Amino acid sequence: MSNSTPSERLATIEAEIRAFAEAHLVDPPCVGGGDEVFWREGWNRCAAEGIIAGPLPAEWGGRDQGLLATIVSMETLGTTCPDLGLLFSINAHLWACSIPILSFGTDEQKRRWLPGLADGSSIGGHGATEPNAGSDIFSMTSTAVRDGDEWVLDGHKNFVANGPVADVFVVYATTDPGLGELGVTAFIVERDRPGLVVSKPLEKVGLRSSPTGTITMNDCRIPVGNMLGSEGGGSACFNCSMEWERGSILAMHIGSMERQLKDAIAHVRSRRQFNRAIGSFQSVANRIVDMKVRIDAARPLVRRIGELKDSGRNAMLESAVAKLFVSEAAVASGLDAMQVHGARGYLSENRVDVELRDALGARIYSGTNDLQRVMIARLLGLPSSLVGGD
Amino acid sequence: MKTDDIREKVRAFILDEILPGERPENLLDDMPLRTSGLIDSMGTIRMTSYLESTFGISIAAHETGVENFETVDSICQFVAAKMAS
Repeated sequence: MSNSTPSERLATIEAEIRAFAEAHLVDPPCVGGGDEVFWREGWNRCAAEGIIAGPLPAEWGGRDQGLLATIVSMETLGTTCPDLGLLFSINAHLWACSIPILSFGTDEQKRRWLPGLADGSSIGGHGATEPNAGSDIFSMTSTAVRDGDEWVLDGHKNFVANGPVADVFVVYATTDPGLGELGVTAFIVERDRPGLVVSKPLEKVGLRSSPTGTITMNDCRIPVGNMLGSEGGGSACFNCSMEWERGSILAMHIGSMERQLKDAIAHVRSRRQFNRAIGSFQSVANRIVDMKVRIDAARPLVRRIGELKDSGRNAMLESAVAKLFVSEAAVASGLDAMQVHGARGYLSENRVDVELRDALGARIYSGTNDLQRVMIARLLGLPSSLVGGD
Repeated sequence: MKTDDIREKVRAFILDEILPGERPENLLDDMPLRTSGLIDSMGTIRMTSYLESTFGISIAAHETGVENFETVDSICQFVAAKMAS
């Protein structure tokens, strides 16, 4: 292994993950039936395999495998594990909780929280979005007020990934509303802190087994040592988190698209109409071809983010590009898959709808695709339309 | 690379990309850029990419705060320290 080339190393990881997933993740308790719940046993199996520790340094309980290898792992899991909600939860845990603590935490904070996050015994959540602060995230109104050796948090967070099952949250609040984004500060909040109320899971269209909830902070007191990064440095922490998340979370959808394509090919080769396989009709074949082209175009967009981050480079622009393209590709392929399966694809029992519903979320989570276009334009140097407003 | 060369490139980037149309003499080297709102977090990300590619340095996320990106002076000192390390 030590003498292997990078591509050989990735191939080995891919083979190991595929073997693991085929043995342990192909049969989640419920996918697409409407009664999905978080698959804790699946989480534990992934944790035991080291998947949740993948990108973290060995020093903090991780596997030191880097981002590219983690992306390849997620892609492989997506081809095999039908429970994308579970994979979404793992991604949210990694990019919105573990990575911010790794990137901005003190050694004491890393020592305290990362080993549990790496071995999966602790689940990470992320509280940033608020009822009136979605795409305009830094207009958040949750507050943090210093009181002696404590910070006092008040506010309400929406759409908290992993919220109902998380043990620890990275939460953003403003320490000075007058400073705008420079007042936003990140904090680490444990679930059992008095004043923190976590909701039940919200009903979503897709990714239903990944529990999303709300958290309310009402005079929630945390030690000053729970501030993550510098006071007013929350925007850098949040942007870092989103850079990793946007760049990596779509890998599972690429795997899912691979599985979808394989199923669609099998169907159009076996399904016969007018005395021939429907795959021989060009309008059907074109859909299959488009599904293949999308996968091949999407994969390098995501993998290059792994290469950039593994070499210590900024990848904000590339992450936004990948997020935008891959999520749209996943939805387009989900629609094509349903169309080639015809009426059978429209029946819930065949689960073709599950991947489409999961893909729809990808156009919204980690920043809507409309926002990604705004960011890409800004990062290309185009003037901002977001300064001022009415 | 000399400090003056770093300063020239940093100033040129800000004037060309962040404050197009601004007269160079109006960009003071100790002028607050982040806390004044002249450069926001997206502008900082653009600047980070530029500094990485221009000076061959790697900038970690936790280094992109106000302490390093507040003024032309602080940006130049940060880049020089990075290049020396």
